[in-house]
Amino acid sequence: MKPSVQIQVREKKDSLWKLAFRKFRQDRLGMAAFVVVGIYFVIAILVHFGVLGQGWEILATRRAEGISADHWFGTNMNGQDIFKRVVFSTKTAFEVGMSVAILSTVIGALLGCLAGFFSGTWIDEAVIWLYGCLDSIPFYLFVAAVAFALKGNPYAMHIAMISTFWTTTARLIRGEVIKIKHFEYVEAARALGVGKIRVMLRHILPNTNHILLVQVTIVFVTAIKSEVILSFLGLGVRDGISWGLMIAEASQEVGAGVFNNFLSASIFMFVLVMAFNIFSDALQDALDPKKVTA
Amino acid sequence: MDTFSFCIRKFLYGIPLIFGVTFISFLLMVYFGPDKTYDLLGKNPTEAEIQAIRHELGYDKPFLIRYKNYVVDLVTLNFGNSDSSGEKVSSIFARTIPVTLALSLPGFILGNLIAIALALLAAYYRGGWEDKAIMVGSVIGMSISFLIVIIAFQVIFCTSYGLNLFPVQGWSMESFTDYLSYVTVPTLATIFVGLGYNTRFYRAVIVEEMGRDHVRTARAFGCPPGKLLFKYVLKNSMIPIITRVVFTIPFVIIGGSILIESYFSIPGVGLVSFNAITSGDQPVLKALVGATAILYVFALTLTDILYRVVDPRIAVR
Repeated sequence: MKPSVQIQVREKKDSLWKLAFRKFRQDRLGMAAFVVVGIYFVIAILVHFGVLGQGWEILATRRAEGISADHWFGTNMNGQDIFKRVVFSTKTAFEVGMSVAILSTVIGALLGCLAGFFSGTWIDEAVIWLYGCLDSIPFYLFVAAVAFALKGNPYAMHIAMISTFWTTTARLIRGEVIKIKHFEYVEAARALGVGKIRVMLRHILPNTNHILLVQVTIVFVTAIKSEVILSFLGLGVRDGISWGLMIAEASQEVGAGVFNNFLSASIFMFVLVMAFNIFSDALQDALDPKKVTA
Repeated sequence: MDTFSFCIRKFLYGIPLIFGVTFISFLLMVYFGPDKTYDLLGKNPTEAEIQAIRHELGYDKPFLIRYKNYVVDLVTLNFGNSDSSGEKVSSIFARTIPVTLALSLPGFILGNLIAIALALLAAYYRGGWEDKAIMVGSVIGMSISFLIVIIAFQVIFCTSYGLNLFPVQGWSMESFTDYLSYVTVPTLATIFVGLGYNTRFYRAVIVEEMGRDHVRTARAFGCPPGKLLFKYVLKNSMIPIITRVVFTIPFVIIGGSILIESYFSIPGVGLVSFNAITSGDQPVLKALVGATAILYVFALTLTDILYRVVDPRIAVR
């Protein structure tokens, strides 16, 4: 009848990724969060191509106006349209989040893999020393120092975040690589004469992808949240508008009882960060190899 | 004697770290930092005057000598004078550090204790509604920015738009009631911000410990929940908990106090850092980065020693 040997073999061959994907699709909360993140991403793309959120810097005539048909979320103390600003900031958030998340994860993956592969040698010691040092400097002061050294470069914040956020990824990858490099297939590859670099990049690093994917989402959230605080400190986004800048300017307004700006930026950011957190959790559950095979 | 040599060895491991940290801060703040020559000169300076100032500031010396001078300044607590107020940096620190400790310690300690209590509760009822409620709560808590929490709490507790129970901003330690009235809202904000992350982390640690055989055995013997949780689970999870607490010190004490103190205008280290960051006060920032990093390395060494106190098995390694 139905259960032939061939089909069973093929089922067993289902890759971890396929299983993880199936598991993720069953996670309703995770899917919902993914959809929310997707909507934000579409908004960011539309802003990027000039469809949405343009004219956020235009000064309207009336200041601190309430909600109206012209200004959906009202206007701020300067008389700028809050809705446009909040939408435009989505793009800024994705710019900061994606650049920092991707670059710092790549750096963390490469250095962590290098340290793990050569564990016990001076290369390992050097990488451990480097992330130990970077972790010892309080983050906000480090950003201030980088901003100092780069003398007003608009990307000082991005650079500072990238150069500190890779450390967690590197730690995780190093631990994982130390585990993986003793597996038989790695020894087999080495015995067949595959070079060290190729073994690292082709045979070891791809097996840490599940960690890297989760790290990207975590760093993304951290970057967006840090941007808010850094903008408040005057170290954040230089040109354009961001939720951090909006909340910073709103901190002047709440004392006067004007809450539109504060609430809009806070809620917009909260929903994205929350969705990303849930998405990240769901991803972690789905990719956990222990749970997938169980 | 054994413990003593252990401490010494651990401390020696910290030395390369101190060198690295001071080197990074030297590179960023001093070597590539702003050139102060023209701030100190009058209009139309002569070449000789420029040279004299550069010599005075040490700009003409080789790289390694400048680095050595920087480290010596840090070690001897000779940080120079603040650019904006002219006050000696070390005396600024002496004045502000007690304020910051009085402000942030209650929130830090309470926040961790509450998080551990919630984590124990969630782990004990793993999968139940208590667990789910606590976990949902912590994801929500994690998703709210520190700045939003501070602004919202200030509006809710301190202004006439909310409950109006506490002073909007300021600081006083004249009497205990004064202290309480100023410290409450910042403490609440500190607790709230850390709670989500801490609870999740501690829950993961405790859940793992609860799955161990000795816990199952204790349960099978009918061990009451209180004794089970505190004696068999919590004691054995102390190592990751201590690590977490020490690792979050710089973020809570330094990072947290920068925001809270600048927002509530409390004259502590955080406000000093905030003003130094916004006005680009190089001597203060230099001292802050160097000193906090060195303190952090000390704290890490202390953690290693604490590990040994908590878990004697560590000494075998």
